[in-house]
Amino acid sequence: MAVLLRLGTYVAVGLIMCGVILMLAGGLSPLDPAPAFDPARLLDDLSALQPAGFLWLGLLVVLATPAARVAVSVAGFVRAGEPRMAGVAVLVLVVIGVGILFGTAGA
Amino acid sequence: MSIAILMLVGGIAAGMFGSLLGLGGGLLIVPLLTFGFDLPLREAIGVSLVCVIVTSGASAAVFLERRVANLRLGMVLEMFTAVGALVGGLVAFLVDERVLAGLFAGLLVYVAISLIRPRSGTPAPSPVDPGGAVRSTFLDRLSGPDYQVHRMGPGLAGSIVAGLASALLGIGGGLVKVPVLHLIMGVPLRVATATSNLMIGITASTSAWIYLIRGGIDPYATGPTAVGVFVGATLGSRIAHRVDLRALRLLFTLVLLYTAFAMLRRAMGVQ
Repeated sequence: MAVLLRLGTYVAVGLIMCGVILMLAGGLSPLDPAPAFDPARLLDDLSALQPAGFLWLGLLVVLATPAARVAVSVAGFVRAGEPRMAGVAVLVLVVIGVGILFGTAGA
Repeated sequence: MSIAILMLVGGIAAGMFGSLLGLGGGLLIVPLLTFGFDLPLREAIGVSLVCVIVTSGASAAVFLERRVANLRLGMVLEMFTAVGALVGGLVAFLVDERVLAGLFAGLLVYVAISLIRPRSGTPAPSPVDPGGAVRSTFLDRLSGPDYQVHRMGPGLAGSIVAGLASALLGIGGGLVKVPVLHLIMGVPLRVATATSNLMIGITASTSAWIYLIRGGIDPYATGPTAVGVFVGATLGSRIAHRVDLRALRLLFTLVLLYTAFAMLRRAMGVQ
Protein backbone atom coordinates (compact mmCIF):
# COMPACT_ATOMS: atom_id res chain seq x y z
CA MET A 1 0.00 0.00 0.00
CA ALA A 2 2.85 2.36 0.90
CA VAL A 3 4.52 1.67 -2.46
CA LEU A 4 1.28 2.41 -4.30
CA LEU A 5 0.88 5.70 -2.41
CA ARG A 6 4.42 6.78 -3.12
CA LEU A 7 4.26 5.70 -6.76
CA GLY A 8 0.89 7.40 -7.34
CA THR A 9 2.09 10.63 -5.73
CA TYR A 10 5.37 10.78 -7.68
CA VAL A 11 3.77 9.86 -11.02
CA ALA A 12 1.08 12.50 -10.46
CA VAL A 13 3.57 15.22 -9.46
CA GLY A 14 5.75 14.25 -12.47
CA LEU A 15 2.83 14.58 -14.89
CA ILE A 16 1.72 17.90 -13.36
CA MET A 17 5.31 19.15 -13.52
CA CYS A 18 5.42 18.29 -17.26
CA GLY A 19 2.19 20.27 -17.68
CA VAL A 20 3.65 23.27 -15.82
CA ILE A 21 6.83 23.22 -17.95
CA LEU A 22 4.69 23.11 -21.11
CA MET A 23 2.58 25.97 -19.70
CA LEU A 24 5.70 28.08 -19.13
CA ALA A 25 7.09 27.18 -22.57
CA GLY A 26 3.81 28.14 -24.21
CA GLY A 27 3.59 31.44 -22.30
CA LEU A 28 0.33 30.39 -20.62
CA SER A 29 -0.71 32.07 -17.38
CA PRO A 30 -2.46 30.19 -14.53
CA LEU A 31 -5.13 32.88 -14.78
CA ASP A 32 -5.86 32.16 -18.47
CA PRO A 33 -9.14 30.33 -19.09
CA ALA A 34 -8.36 26.60 -19.01
CA PRO A 35 -10.06 23.96 -21.16
CA ALA A 36 -12.77 22.06 -19.28
CA PHE A 37 -12.15 18.43 -18.30
CA ASP A 38 -13.01 16.22 -21.28
CA PRO A 39 -11.85 12.58 -21.05
CA ALA A 40 -12.34 12.16 -24.82
CA ARG A 41 -9.69 14.82 -25.53
CA LEU A 42 -7.10 13.57 -23.09
CA LEU A 43 -5.12 11.32 -25.45
CA ASP A 44 -5.13 13.90 -28.25
CA ASP A 45 -3.91 16.61 -25.85
CA LEU A 46 -1.16 14.31 -24.56
CA SER A 47 0.09 13.34 -28.00
CA ALA A 48 -0.02 17.01 -29.10
CA LEU A 49 2.00 17.92 -25.95
CA GLN A 50 -0.73 20.27 -24.77
CA PRO A 51 -0.21 21.33 -21.12
CA ALA A 52 -3.86 20.68 -20.28
CA GLY A 53 -3.49 16.98 -21.21
CA PHE A 54 -0.62 16.43 -18.74
CA LEU A 55 -2.27 18.54 -16.04
CA TRP A 56 -5.62 16.72 -16.28
CA LEU A 57 -3.95 13.29 -16.34
CA GLY A 58 -1.82 14.25 -13.33
CA LEU A 59 -4.93 15.44 -11.49
CA LEU A 60 -6.74 12.19 -12.29
CA VAL A 61 -3.81 10.18 -10.89
CA VAL A 62 -3.81 12.39 -7.75
CA LEU A 63 -7.53 11.80 -7.18
CA ALA A 64 -7.45 8.09 -8.06
CA THR A 65 -4.51 7.18 -5.81
CA PRO A 66 -6.41 7.29 -2.47
CA ALA A 67 -9.25 5.18 -3.94
CA ALA A 68 -6.71 2.69 -5.31
CA ARG A 69 -5.18 2.49 -1.84
CA VAL A 70 -8.60 1.64 -0.36
CA ALA A 71 -9.14 -1.00 -3.09
CA VAL A 72 -5.80 -2.61 -2.21
CA SER A 73 -6.75 -2.62 1.48
CA VAL A 74 -9.99 -4.50 0.60
CA ALA A 75 -7.85 -7.29 -0.83
CA GLY A 76 -5.54 -7.12 2.21
CA PHE A 77 -8.44 -7.48 4.67
CA VAL A 78 -9.88 -10.41 2.68
CA ARG A 79 -6.49 -12.15 2.70
CA ALA A 80 -6.19 -11.53 6.45
CA GLY A 81 -9.59 -13.20 7.02
CA GLU A 82 -11.31 -9.99 8.10
CA PRO A 83 -14.48 -9.86 5.98
CA ARG A 84 -16.08 -7.17 8.17
CA MET A 85 -13.16 -4.77 7.65
CA ALA A 86 -13.13 -5.61 3.93
CA GLY A 87 -16.82 -4.63 3.88
CA VAL A 88 -16.01 -1.32 5.60
CA ALA A 89 -13.35 -0.55 2.97
CA VAL A 90 -15.81 -1.44 0.18
CA LEU A 91 -18.32 0.99 1.72
CA VAL A 92 -15.68 3.75 1.63
CA LEU A 93 -15.23 3.04 -2.09
CA VAL A 94 -19.01 3.13 -2.53
CA VAL A 95 -19.17 6.60 -0.91
CA ILE A 96 -16.44 7.87 -3.28
CA GLY A 97 -18.37 6.34 -6.21
CA VAL A 98 -21.63 7.96 -5.09
CA GLY A 99 -19.82 11.31 -4.94
CA ILE A 100 -18.64 10.89 -8.54
CA LEU A 101 -22.19 9.93 -9.62
CA PHE A 102 -23.80 12.88 -7.81
CA GLY A 103 -21.08 15.19 -9.11
CA THR A 104 -21.73 14.04 -12.67
CA ALA A 105 -25.49 14.35 -12.25
CA GLY A 106 -25.24 17.97 -11.17
CA ALA A 107 -22.51 19.00 -13.63
CA MET B 1 8.25 37.38 -13.20
CA SER B 2 5.45 35.29 -14.70
CA ILE B 3 2.35 34.56 -12.68
CA ALA B 4 3.05 30.81 -12.96
CA ILE B 5 6.44 31.26 -11.27
CA LEU B 6 4.89 33.47 -8.58
CA MET B 7 2.25 30.80 -7.93
CA LEU B 8 4.96 28.12 -7.77
CA VAL B 9 6.94 30.18 -5.24
CA GLY B 10 3.77 30.92 -3.26
CA GLY B 11 2.99 27.19 -3.24
CA ILE B 12 6.50 26.40 -1.97
CA ALA B 13 6.08 28.92 0.86
CA ALA B 14 2.59 27.62 1.77
CA GLY B 15 3.80 23.99 1.70
CA MET B 16 6.92 24.75 3.74
CA PHE B 17 5.26 26.85 6.45
CA GLY B 18 2.28 24.48 6.57
CA SER B 19 4.64 21.57 7.12
CA LEU B 20 6.74 23.42 9.74
CA LEU B 21 3.67 24.47 11.72
CA GLY B 22 1.89 21.13 11.36
CA LEU B 23 -1.04 22.77 9.58
CA GLY B 24 -0.84 20.97 6.25
CA GLY B 25 -0.84 23.06 3.09
CA GLY B 26 -4.57 23.65 2.69
CA LEU B 27 -5.04 26.32 5.30
CA LEU B 28 -2.51 28.68 3.68
CA ILE B 29 -3.25 27.94 0.01
CA VAL B 30 -6.82 29.21 -0.01
CA PRO B 31 -5.91 32.72 1.30
CA LEU B 32 -2.82 32.76 -0.96
CA LEU B 33 -4.89 32.13 -4.09
CA THR B 34 -7.87 34.30 -3.19
CA PHE B 35 -6.01 37.35 -1.88
CA GLY B 36 -2.73 36.92 -3.80
CA PHE B 37 -4.06 35.92 -7.20
CA ASP B 38 -7.70 36.96 -7.03
CA LEU B 39 -9.03 33.44 -7.67
CA PRO B 40 -12.68 32.84 -6.74
CA LEU B 41 -12.87 31.23 -3.30
CA ARG B 42 -14.55 28.01 -4.50
CA GLU B 43 -11.86 27.53 -7.15
CA ALA B 44 -9.12 28.12 -4.55
CA ILE B 45 -10.74 25.47 -2.33
CA GLY B 46 -10.68 23.01 -5.27
CA VAL B 47 -6.96 23.69 -5.87
CA SER B 48 -6.30 23.33 -2.16
CA LEU B 49 -7.97 19.90 -1.99
CA VAL B 50 -5.65 18.63 -4.73
CA CYS B 51 -2.61 20.02 -2.85
CA VAL B 52 -3.79 18.33 0.35
CA ILE B 53 -3.93 14.92 -1.38
CA VAL B 54 -0.48 15.41 -2.97
CA THR B 55 1.21 16.41 0.29
CA SER B 56 -0.49 13.73 2.39
CA GLY B 57 0.45 10.92 -0.05
CA ALA B 58 4.17 10.81 0.66
CA SER B 59 3.86 11.25 4.44
CA ALA B 60 1.06 8.66 4.71
CA ALA B 61 3.36 6.17 2.98
CA VAL B 62 5.99 6.78 5.67
CA PHE B 63 3.43 6.24 8.46
CA LEU B 64 2.25 3.01 6.78
CA GLU B 65 5.79 1.69 6.51
CA ARG B 66 6.49 2.48 10.17
CA ARG B 67 3.19 0.77 11.12
CA VAL B 68 2.27 3.66 13.44
CA ALA B 69 -1.20 4.31 12.00
CA ASN B 70 -4.25 2.30 13.10
CA LEU B 71 -5.53 1.16 9.71
CA ARG B 72 -8.69 -0.55 11.02
CA LEU B 73 -9.84 2.42 13.11
CA GLY B 74 -8.91 4.81 10.31
CA MET B 75 -10.99 2.88 7.78
CA VAL B 76 -14.07 2.71 10.04
CA LEU B 77 -13.90 6.45 10.77
CA GLU B 78 -13.20 7.18 7.11
CA MET B 79 -16.56 5.66 6.17
CA PHE B 80 -18.18 8.54 8.07
CA THR B 81 -15.63 11.20 7.11
CA ALA B 82 -16.16 10.33 3.45
CA VAL B 83 -19.92 10.76 3.89
CA GLY B 84 -19.26 14.20 5.43
CA ALA B 85 -16.96 15.06 2.53
CA LEU B 86 -19.54 13.87 0.00
CA VAL B 87 -22.27 16.04 1.54
CA GLY B 88 -19.85 18.97 1.95
CA GLY B 89 -18.71 18.70 -1.67
CA LEU B 90 -22.31 18.91 -2.88
CA VAL B 91 -23.25 21.71 -0.46
CA ALA B 92 -20.17 23.75 -1.49
CA PHE B 93 -21.76 24.28 -4.92
CA LEU B 94 -25.12 25.29 -3.46
CA VAL B 95 -24.09 27.95 -0.96
CA ASP B 96 -22.94 31.49 -1.67
CA GLU B 97 -19.16 31.98 -1.63
CA ARG B 98 -19.62 34.51 1.17
CA VAL B 99 -20.84 31.71 3.45
CA LEU B 100 -17.65 29.75 2.67
CA ALA B 101 -15.61 32.90 3.38
CA GLY B 102 -17.33 33.29 6.77
CA LEU B 103 -16.63 29.65 7.66
CA PHE B 104 -13.02 30.02 6.57
CA ALA B 105 -12.60 33.11 8.74
CA GLY B 106 -13.84 31.09 11.73
CA LEU B 107 -11.39 28.29 10.93
CA LEU B 108 -8.48 30.75 10.72
CA VAL B 109 -9.30 32.23 14.14
CA TYR B 110 -9.53 28.71 15.64
CA VAL B 111 -6.14 27.73 14.19
CA ALA B 112 -4.53 31.05 15.18
CA ILE B 113 -5.58 30.46 18.79
CA SER B 114 -4.48 26.80 18.74
CA LEU B 115 -1.02 27.87 17.48
CA ILE B 116 -0.25 29.87 20.64
CA ARG B 117 -2.02 27.54 23.08
CA PRO B 118 0.07 24.85 24.80
CA ARG B 119 0.14 21.85 22.48
CA SER B 120 -0.43 18.84 24.69
CA GLY B 121 -4.00 18.01 25.60
CA THR B 122 -4.93 15.21 27.95
CA PRO B 123 -7.32 12.57 26.68
CA ALA B 124 -10.61 12.43 28.55
CA PRO B 125 -10.71 9.55 31.07
CA SER B 126 -12.28 6.29 29.89
CA PRO B 127 -16.01 6.18 30.45
CA VAL B 128 -17.01 4.19 33.52
CA ASP B 129 -18.39 0.79 32.59
CA PRO B 130 -20.98 -0.06 35.26
CA GLY B 131 -21.30 -3.57 33.87
CA GLY B 132 -17.74 -4.40 34.85
CA ALA B 133 -15.55 -6.09 32.31
CA VAL B 134 -18.07 -6.25 29.46
CA ARG B 135 -16.39 -4.55 26.53
CA SER B 136 -17.39 -4.43 22.92
CA THR B 137 -15.47 -6.96 20.87
CA PHE B 138 -15.65 -4.57 17.93
CA LEU B 139 -13.97 -1.75 19.88
CA ASP B 140 -11.35 -4.21 21.11
CA ARG B 141 -10.50 -5.13 17.54
CA LEU B 142 -10.13 -1.42 16.68
CA SER B 143 -7.87 -0.76 19.67
CA GLY B 144 -4.10 -0.93 19.70
CA PRO B 145 -1.79 -3.17 21.74
CA ASP B 146 -1.28 -0.49 24.41
CA TYR B 147 -4.48 1.58 24.24
CA GLN B 148 -8.24 1.05 24.25
CA VAL B 149 -10.49 2.98 21.88
CA HIS B 150 -13.65 4.36 23.47
CA ARG B 151 -16.50 6.83 22.79
CA MET B 152 -17.18 5.54 19.27
CA GLY B 153 -20.37 7.61 18.90
CA PRO B 154 -18.81 11.06 19.44
CA GLY B 155 -15.83 9.85 17.38
CA LEU B 156 -18.04 9.03 14.41
CA ALA B 157 -19.90 12.36 14.74
CA GLY B 158 -16.55 14.19 14.85
CA SER B 159 -15.47 12.29 11.73
CA ILE B 160 -18.51 13.53 9.81
CA VAL B 161 -17.69 17.12 10.89
CA ALA B 162 -14.08 16.61 9.72
CA GLY B 163 -15.33 15.52 6.28
CA LEU B 164 -17.71 18.47 6.01
CA ALA B 165 -14.96 20.92 7.01
CA SER B 166 -12.54 19.37 4.53
CA ALA B 167 -14.95 19.67 1.60
CA LEU B 168 -16.23 23.15 2.42
CA LEU B 169 -12.86 24.70 3.27
CA GLY B 170 -10.32 22.77 1.18
CA ILE B 171 -8.40 21.37 4.14
CA GLY B 172 -7.39 17.82 5.01
CA GLY B 173 -9.48 17.78 8.15
CA GLY B 174 -6.58 16.76 10.41
CA LEU B 175 -7.35 19.81 12.56
CA VAL B 176 -10.57 18.06 13.56
CA LYS B 177 -9.52 14.40 13.28
CA VAL B 178 -6.45 14.50 15.52
CA PRO B 179 -8.29 16.06 18.53
CA VAL B 180 -11.23 13.67 17.98
CA LEU B 181 -8.96 10.62 17.91
CA HIS B 182 -6.70 11.76 20.77
CA LEU B 183 -8.88 13.74 23.16
CA ILE B 184 -12.22 11.99 22.66
CA MET B 185 -11.38 8.43 21.61
CA GLY B 186 -8.27 7.99 23.75
CA VAL B 187 -5.83 7.18 20.94
CA PRO B 188 -2.20 8.19 21.71
CA LEU B 189 -1.22 11.43 19.94
CA ARG B 190 1.45 9.77 17.76
CA VAL B 191 -1.04 7.14 16.50
CA ALA B 192 -3.79 9.76 16.13
CA THR B 193 -1.59 11.94 13.91
CA ALA B 194 -0.52 8.99 11.75
CA THR B 195 -4.08 7.62 11.45
CA SER B 196 -5.44 11.07 10.57
CA ASN B 197 -2.74 11.49 7.92
CA LEU B 198 -3.67 8.15 6.41
CA MET B 199 -7.31 9.24 6.11
CA ILE B 200 -6.68 12.75 4.76
CA GLY B 201 -6.09 11.74 1.13
CA ILE B 202 -9.28 9.65 1.00
CA THR B 203 -11.35 12.42 2.61
CA ALA B 204 -10.02 15.14 0.32
CA SER B 205 -10.34 12.99 -2.81
CA THR B 206 -14.03 12.24 -2.09
CA SER B 207 -14.98 15.90 -2.46
CA ALA B 208 -12.21 16.72 -4.96
CA TRP B 209 -13.89 14.37 -7.49
CA ILE B 210 -17.07 16.45 -7.15
CA TYR B 211 -15.08 19.70 -7.54
CA LEU B 212 -13.30 18.30 -10.63
CA ILE B 213 -16.47 17.07 -12.35
CA ARG B 214 -18.35 20.29 -11.63
CA GLY B 215 -15.58 22.52 -12.99
CA GLY B 216 -14.31 23.63 -9.58
CA ILE B 217 -10.67 22.69 -10.28
CA ASP B 218 -8.72 24.87 -12.72
CA PRO B 219 -5.77 22.84 -14.09
CA TYR B 220 -3.70 25.93 -14.96
CA ALA B 221 -3.95 27.34 -11.43
CA THR B 222 -3.59 23.93 -9.80
CA GLY B 223 -0.42 22.88 -11.68
CA PRO B 224 2.13 25.41 -10.37
CA THR B 225 0.53 25.56 -6.92
CA ALA B 226 0.48 21.77 -6.40
CA VAL B 227 4.09 21.34 -7.56
CA GLY B 228 5.15 24.23 -5.30
CA VAL B 229 3.31 22.85 -2.27
CA PHE B 230 4.82 19.38 -2.82
CA VAL B 231 8.35 20.83 -2.98
CA GLY B 232 7.70 23.17 -0.03
CA ALA B 233 6.25 20.44 2.20
CA THR B 234 9.23 18.17 1.44
CA LEU B 235 11.65 21.01 2.28
CA GLY B 236 9.70 21.86 5.44
CA SER B 237 9.91 18.33 6.82
CA ARG B 238 13.70 18.33 6.25
CA ILE B 239 14.45 21.66 7.97
CA ALA B 240 11.90 21.47 10.81
CA HIS B 241 14.54 20.65 13.46
CA ARG B 242 16.64 23.72 12.53
CA VAL B 243 13.89 26.35 12.79
CA ASP B 244 12.77 28.28 15.87
CA LEU B 245 9.12 27.24 15.77
CA ARG B 246 8.03 29.46 18.70
CA ALA B 247 8.78 32.66 16.78
CA LEU B 248 7.23 31.22 13.63
CA ARG B 249 4.04 30.24 15.51
CA LEU B 250 3.72 33.75 16.92
CA LEU B 251 4.28 35.31 13.49
CA PHE B 252 1.68 33.05 11.87
CA THR B 253 -0.83 33.67 14.62
CA LEU B 254 -0.76 37.33 13.58
CA VAL B 255 -0.81 36.45 9.85
CA LEU B 256 -3.79 34.11 10.32
CA LEU B 257 -5.71 36.64 12.43
CA TYR B 258 -5.18 39.33 9.79
CA THR B 259 -6.25 36.86 7.06
CA ALA B 260 -9.32 35.97 9.11
CA PHE B 261 -10.21 39.67 9.26
CA ALA B 262 -9.80 39.98 5.47
CA MET B 263 -11.88 36.83 4.93
CA LEU B 264 -14.58 38.14 7.23
CA ARG B 265 -14.72 41.37 5.20
CA ARG B 266 -15.19 39.26 2.08
CA ALA B 267 -17.96 37.30 3.82
CA MET B 268 -19.70 40.58 4.59
CA GLY B 269 -19.37 41.71 0.98
CA VAL B 270 -16.73 44.39 1.70
CA GLN B 271 -13.97 44.17 -0.93
